[in-house]
Amino acid sequence: MTPIITRRDFLTGTTAVVLGAHLARAQEPAAAKTARVVLIRHAGVLDENSAINPDILQGMLDEAVMKLLDESDPVAAFGRLVKPGETVGIKTNVWSYLPTPKELEAAIKRRLVDAGIAEDRIGLDDHTVRTNPLFINATSLINVRPLRTHYLSGMSGTLKNYIMFAESQPDYHPDSCADLGALFKLPIVQGKTRLNILCALTPQFHGRGPHHFSRRYVWAYKGLIVGRDPVAVDTIGLRLIMAKRREVLGKAQELPPVPKHIQLADTRHGIGTSDINAIEFIKLGWGEDILI
Amino acid sequence: MKAARAVPLIAVLAAALCVFPAGESMDDFGRLIPKTIGAWEAREADRVYDRTTLYDYMDGGAEVFLAFDFREVWTRRYAGPDGGTEGRELTLDIYDMGSPAEAFGIFSCDREDPEAGIGQESEADFGLLRFWQGRCFVTVTAAEDDETSQRAVLDVGRAVVGLLGPPGPKPDLIGYLPAGSLRADRTSFFHSNVNLNNRYFVASENILGLDRSTDCVFAEYDAAAGEAGCLLVVRYPDAAKAEAARRSFLAAYLPEAGADGLARTENKKWVLALRKEAVLVVVFEAPDPDWARTLASSVPSLKSPSR
Repeated sequence: MTPIITRRDFLTGTTAVVLGAHLARAQEPAAAKTARVVLIRHAGVLDENSAINPDILQGMLDEAVMKLLDESDPVAAFGRLVKPGETVGIKTNVWSYLPTPKELEAAIKRRLVDAGIAEDRIGLDDHTVRTNPLFINATSLINVRPLRTHYLSGMSGTLKNYIMFAESQPDYHPDSCADLGALFKLPIVQGKTRLNILCALTPQFHGRGPHHFSRRYVWAYKGLIVGRDPVAVDTIGLRLIMAKRREVLGKAQELPPVPKHIQLADTRHGIGTSDINAIEFIKLGWGEDILI
Repeated sequence: MKAARAVPLIAVLAAALCVFPAGESMDDFGRLIPKTIGAWEAREADRVYDRTTLYDYMDGGAEVFLAFDFREVWTRRYAGPDGGTEGRELTLDIYDMGSPAEAFGIFSCDREDPEAGIGQESEADFGLLRFWQGRCFVTVTAAEDDETSQRAVLDVGRAVVGLLGPPGPKPDLIGYLPAGSLRADRTSFFHSNVNLNNRYFVASENILGLDRSTDCVFAEYDAAAGEAGCLLVVRYPDAAKAEAARRSFLAAYLPEAGADGLARTENKKWVLALRKEAVLVVVFEAPDPDWARTLASSVPSLKSPSR
């Protein structure tokens, strides 16, 4: 059972501790890093109307993946993730209010092709991944979606993005979607995820209305959060959401409903780390209002 | 503080008989609601989703509706004056919540915006209109939140409200709230933990044992210097369940409380939990113990649910 987080943990500032972030030990120098997460931001990636500059976005993706894998060339970096001859599925997100940007999908696809993947062996899908032959036959997956809050699970990140691989989505809803981590053990998925990308160009930090969306709660953060460990990527994403909520909504609303699935993906399902001390967090690019 | 019990019998009877005009079903909205409203035009087929298909329609909100007595939602999209090409699109959703109490409930859990004067109660801003009328809860959502879209959102709401039948009563539990300095437009009615935590986060686990068998009211009261004290009233199926919830709450949330269920929390406010028959009363954010005791003691004992 996960520790119970109560409102009082917010009042004492211990929420992050119970969430597994272990801030009390953050000053300890010798914590072993088991996951690397790269946050990259660029002030020019969006214009005043939130239109995306595709060249800048491509550059952000390239730089982040190079840093993630300690490579100096983007094609070489993607070549570490996939091999020629493979079938690769890009699990995107088509939620109408805040989908994965087409420009980001195109940037990923371009680098996969550069790395030797045949264009007709790259799948791009969301709702029909379970029946899409390119995903059924995929040997590698790229997991990409926008960062946002979620009424039930607290946060929609890379872990929740795989719910479309489930035979029954409602099966993963009990207890605030506690067991989303189990999705990564489904046969169609297990051991195939090469890269997780949380699109934080315009994250959503709070929701309203039946579809849990209002533009007033979306802001131009102009970032990407990239890593190989989906739990670590979501852990960083959650810290960003919490920081923005603290700034705009106040400390009492720092968390949406507690996204317990992130910690449980680590402690119950063992698919990654939610311990901030075990995450090597690298920040690149634009630093204004970075929040985390 | 005295209880503000004001649920007229006639309204209860009206609720029992509540149907859409001339007994139509949700599907009839397709012919009753104009396909063109101002410069906005419905171009796609209308859709209806029920409890089993609601997940196909919404990501992020289905559980919230399913925690109520939701039956069906009828939905239509209107393309804007530009044909929708510039992102101007409206979505009209009419939810049959099964009863006026449930329609009020789903409306009441998510109120932030100014009253719009449509239906029994409403709110609108930033391209979102929400209102309830009879057993229906309605939302009109614009993809954009500019002035043109906001005006159209209200026009669509006004075109629909007359088709939704007579007004209905709020949940009876609302009538047991102490009047006093109650902030009426901040009162929420619900059943489940997901609704409580989105309204006022208490705990990551369901320490109050809330489910569809429990009726809950969360209310705010003027306390001091513009601050609000909060009152949670939960009616359980029986006193044993209420007592189990009281013990669970005290153990997880207020372990330092004595037999009186009262303790001061880290923000220097007071929390009080006490049981009255099948009802658990919890006061949060009280400025002092007397304020908490007075508010809690104004809630009457209730033996069992009225349903």
